[in-house]
Amino acid sequence: MNSPASSPLLTSLLAAPLPQRGISWLDAARRENRAAFAADGLPDTRVEAWKYTPLRALSQRDFASGDSAAGTREVDPALFALPGVAGPRLVFVNGMFRADLSALEALPDGLVLQPLSRALDDDAEALRFVLSRHYRDIGDAFARINAASALDGVVLRVGAGVKLAAPVQLVFVGAVAPVALAWHARNVIELGEDSELALVEQHLGTGEQAHLGTLVSDIELRAGARLSHTLLQNAKGANLIRRNSLRLHARAHGTMHVLELGGALVRHDLQVELTGDGARFDGRGVFMPHGRQHIDTQLAIRHQGLNTTSDAHWRGVASDRARGVFRGAVLVAPGADGSDANLTNKNLLLSPGAEIDTKPELEIYADEVQAAHGATVGQLDEQALFYMRSRGMGRDEARAVLTGAFCRAVLGDMVNQPLREHLAESMMAHLPA
Amino acid sequence: MTSETSSAATLRDNAEVAEALGRTYSAGFVTKLETVSLPPGLNEDTIRQLSAIKEEPQWMTERRLDAYRHWLTMKAPDWAKLKLEPIDYQAISYYSAPKAQPKSLAEVDPAILEAYEKLGVPLHERAALAGVAVDAVFDSVSVGTTFRKQLADAGVIFCSMSEAIRDHADIVQKYLGSVVPIGDNFFAALNSAVFSDGSFVFIPRGVRCPMELSTYFRINAQNTGQFERTLIVAEEGSHVSYLEGCTAPKRDENQLHAAVVELVALEGAQIKYSTVQNWYPGDENGKGGVYNLVTKRGECRGDDSKICWTQVETGSAITWKYPSVVLRGDRTIGEFYSVALTHHFQQADTGTKMLHLGKDTRSKIVSRGISAGRSNNSYRGLVKVEQGADNARNYTQCDSLLIGKKCGAHTFPYIEVKNPTAIVEHEATTSKISDDQMFYCRSRGIREEDAVSMIVDGFCKTVFRELPMEFAVEAKKLLEVSLEGAVG
Amino acid sequence: MLKIENLHARVAGKEILKGINLTVNAGEVHAIMGPNGAGKSTLGNVLAGRDGYEVTAGTVTFNGVDLLALLPEARAAAGVFLAFQYPVEIPGVNNTYFLRTALNAQRKQRGENDLDSMQFLKLVRERLKVMNLPADLLHRAVNEGFSGGEKKRNEIFQMALLEPQLAILDETDSGLDIDALKQVATGVNMLRTPERAFVMITHYQRLLDYVVPDFVHVLADGRIVESGDKSLAIRLEQHGYAGLGEPEPTGASA
Repeated sequence: MNSPASSPLLTSLLAAPLPQRGISWLDAARRENRAAFAADGLPDTRVEAWKYTPLRALSQRDFASGDSAAGTREVDPALFALPGVAGPRLVFVNGMFRADLSALEALPDGLVLQPLSRALDDDAEALRFVLSRHYRDIGDAFARINAASALDGVVLRVGAGVKLAAPVQLVFVGAVAPVALAWHARNVIELGEDSELALVEQHLGTGEQAHLGTLVSDIELRAGARLSHTLLQNAKGANLIRRNSLRLHARAHGTMHVLELGGALVRHDLQVELTGDGARFDGRGVFMPHGRQHIDTQLAIRHQGLNTTSDAHWRGVASDRARGVFRGAVLVAPGADGSDANLTNKNLLLSPGAEIDTKPELEIYADEVQAAHGATVGQLDEQALFYMRSRGMGRDEARAVLTGAFCRAVLGDMVNQPLREHLAESMMAHLPA
Repeated sequence: MTSETSSAATLRDNAEVAEALGRTYSAGFVTKLETVSLPPGLNEDTIRQLSAIKEEPQWMTERRLDAYRHWLTMKAPDWAKLKLEPIDYQAISYYSAPKAQPKSLAEVDPAILEAYEKLGVPLHERAALAGVAVDAVFDSVSVGTTFRKQLADAGVIFCSMSEAIRDHADIVQKYLGSVVPIGDNFFAALNSAVFSDGSFVFIPRGVRCPMELSTYFRINAQNTGQFERTLIVAEEGSHVSYLEGCTAPKRDENQLHAAVVELVALEGAQIKYSTVQNWYPGDENGKGGVYNLVTKRGECRGDDSKICWTQVETGSAITWKYPSVVLRGDRTIGEFYSVALTHHFQQADTGTKMLHLGKDTRSKIVSRGISAGRSNNSYRGLVKVEQGADNARNYTQCDSLLIGKKCGAHTFPYIEVKNPTAIVEHEATTSKISDDQMFYCRSRGIREEDAVSMIVDGFCKTVFRELPMEFAVEAKKLLEVSLEGAVG
Repeated sequence: MLKIENLHARVAGKEILKGINLTVNAGEVHAIMGPNGAGKSTLGNVLAGRDGYEVTAGTVTFNGVDLLALLPEARAAAGVFLAFQYPVEIPGVNNTYFLRTALNAQRKQRGENDLDSMQFLKLVRERLKVMNLPADLLHRAVNEGFSGGEKKRNEIFQMALLEPQLAILDETDSGLDIDALKQVATGVNMLRTPERAFVMITHYQRLLDYVVPDFVHVLADGRIVESGDKSLAIRLEQHGYAGLGEPEPTGASA
């Protein structure tokens, strides 16, 4: 193994001074996570969670930390405008909060929505539990550097019993800068008991520049809370490493739709813990790498409470020389009786140079369980193609229609109709010609 | 009232049944024999001694030493989902053989013949299983092979590996290590250094082997590792079906079994390899039992060849094996059918690898795992389609059945596809025997334990169908015995 | 033969049966009718000994024996047969093998000898004819891939083979077309003997056109609210279950 600290990536990330806020527990957590990052470096492909995502090329790049001009970089609001989404909004550009692009006026009662930098001023103690976390595994290298370096992010809280009608929009933009940047965002989201929230999160880029962005979110759903979370990623040429940790208490219900369209090297760790009895998670995702993109989704669902349900379906379409990676691990803990887990990953491989690596896993330690998974890699159904052509459609058109339908299936149960239509169109526009 | 009364009675019944029968491992007897053993320990001298005892040619000794030196540079694998005590390789004796070395079956020590008789594998040809030729391996050596003449008439070579090294050096040199190279993995390297004996099969071009070939492995001596090496070569257009069975005495210490099996199928050849593995699993408290750490791999080297692995794994404290097929030739076929049953404290981590290299290659994987007691049972598999493997097809189905609340059932399939004309499908389920099924059987008068073994047998049916008839019957019985006391 | 007294039973903590009284003698055919949720199937499952059905009060004796104290398999051996409303699929288990194991297990518990495969096959062929079932059914796995009608006919076929003293048919008529219904009825009628009794649980009267019951009971809200002969079933067919236990409306029987 190379000495980890020798890589340009590590050197550049560690060159930035640690942020100091004078909050002793926070400064300590930053120090320790940074020390761990410096000591262990990046995981190689022998680390199971990174088996299919080599970081060699990335480790040879360097990134400037922080963008002193982030507050003034030009970002066209049309970039993040979405139909069906016109509520409170928080926008970050190259990791920095942009009040000018955000919409925080007249927040509805029961909603706290502010940048982390401000929340730390107001009440740091409330964030102590989440932000003083230590990431212990070498596989968590990017969570470590995020914990050490993130200056800002989102703090969102919904009060108990509050049901918010309008979706809240969170936007993270990588804007073109004179040099490639590393930026980080740390989000803390909590839904109170029996509250309801629709969340639309976007990871975007203004150009093809290969920044490195890391995002870490902790999302907690108290008993009976309902979250509908849509994550749209179209980050152009960026390297984007993200982790979403969801914790669902009794009867909480989380729904997630994830669209991975852009990015150069993209990673999404989605960790779902069904802690409370009767908790439920519905996940749908699609990843569409093309060109030389590499998109890796690592979904881990843990059934802990009684009578919990997970239903997760991810689809991948890989073309050109791109690589799509999916791991879907379902764990049913001892005593988690009544668990019902269903997971599928279906993939289309469209080009000779493309690759799909998929790994559905079941790890079951309780017997009152219904658990199933499936994974496929293949092509479009020849019969369906023939059927469509016999009805007069050209071969390429028939392929496009079928591929589109294949991807669109993941949006089937999305409630926000205008948003759903828009996302479907974005996917279609993204299909290879 | 009803349900409480009946389930209380059921519990009591089962406890009694379990107590009366315990886990009846009928192969757990020890045979008293005078043996020649190397003292425990492993170094270059041990290997030279071993090679000398076996009167091996120089090239073989060198091969062993190469493997040993390679092994020294390797680390024991990361144990996936397995928990085991570190193995002290210096505490193991690498050679143990009955003192009297027979020249033919007629000279075999009667105590050994009796041992095989007890196991249901009589070696006298007149009493032998009709249509099955047996090579019996006792600790480190082959004690005899039946039906040699009939096989020789057909041109088939079926003998111990030691004999093959002496008498068929050219074939052995050409193929040994060609599928599992010396440094393939930690245990394969160890085996390549210290393997004692095993079976050798050579089916010449165009020959359909006239009978089932079978090797029966028996560990008897204490503190001995069994490191057998099997090589099967099927030349162009030939067919062979090969069976192996395994047992060991009940001992409190763990015994190590680290075999390597290599199969080579040339153009149009077909090899069917079936295993019923019933090494001593340890007692109901997890004491003792065999560590079964095995490398099995076949290569469909020629076009249109086929290799089929079928395994029924009920024994061993720990099983770690992934019989694999390298689909190198065009239009080759690899199949893997597996039943793995774990009970008490047993751990099994087993599955297969299908490597699609040639065009129009096909593979099929059917795995059935049954976990009971406090055992853990994992399927781990890899399906890999390389860029040149146009029109590769794979279908995988892995189902797990849980019996009881303290066991675990896991599925870890890896799918890697680099060719856009491939179709790979994987499905897996995990469940327990449904209350509805149990009640249905019982309301027709079938006892709970019988209902369980009936349902488990049904669950395994697709795999049993792939076994030769005699083995299918044995496999079914083995499951029943292994499941005793699992209900309630 | 069967004597049910003041039977109360709960399912998942909810009281479903609230004091059933019923006596069935050898040779009799009883029909139990009632609206959905009345507790009809619960009664069948309690008698067969399904887990999760908790008897909170009352007694059930079968030929003088406390039926509730027996395991499900012992009840089967004693001669009680439940034809399931939803017959269960058992993948990989051959139908013939299943039946032979069941029959021999029952014979063993009764102290009788096992039937060998020849005797058994002869018996199977005989009974198969009765039900007009295709022979390939025997080689398939238990109920796996059977149509709804085949499953129900298979239940009657099992009954013909196992020759119980008391057969409880739980909505065996539901989901059947008229031909399948007739076949089921023919099977039941052929098995009617002075020694054997039937309890037919049904939602509709139409089965009773083909298997004429000696008694008809109406089960509502966990109790038998009315008993009578065949004419009660016809009245129910005309007027539904509303107004049960009330005097017959005048002019209704015209």
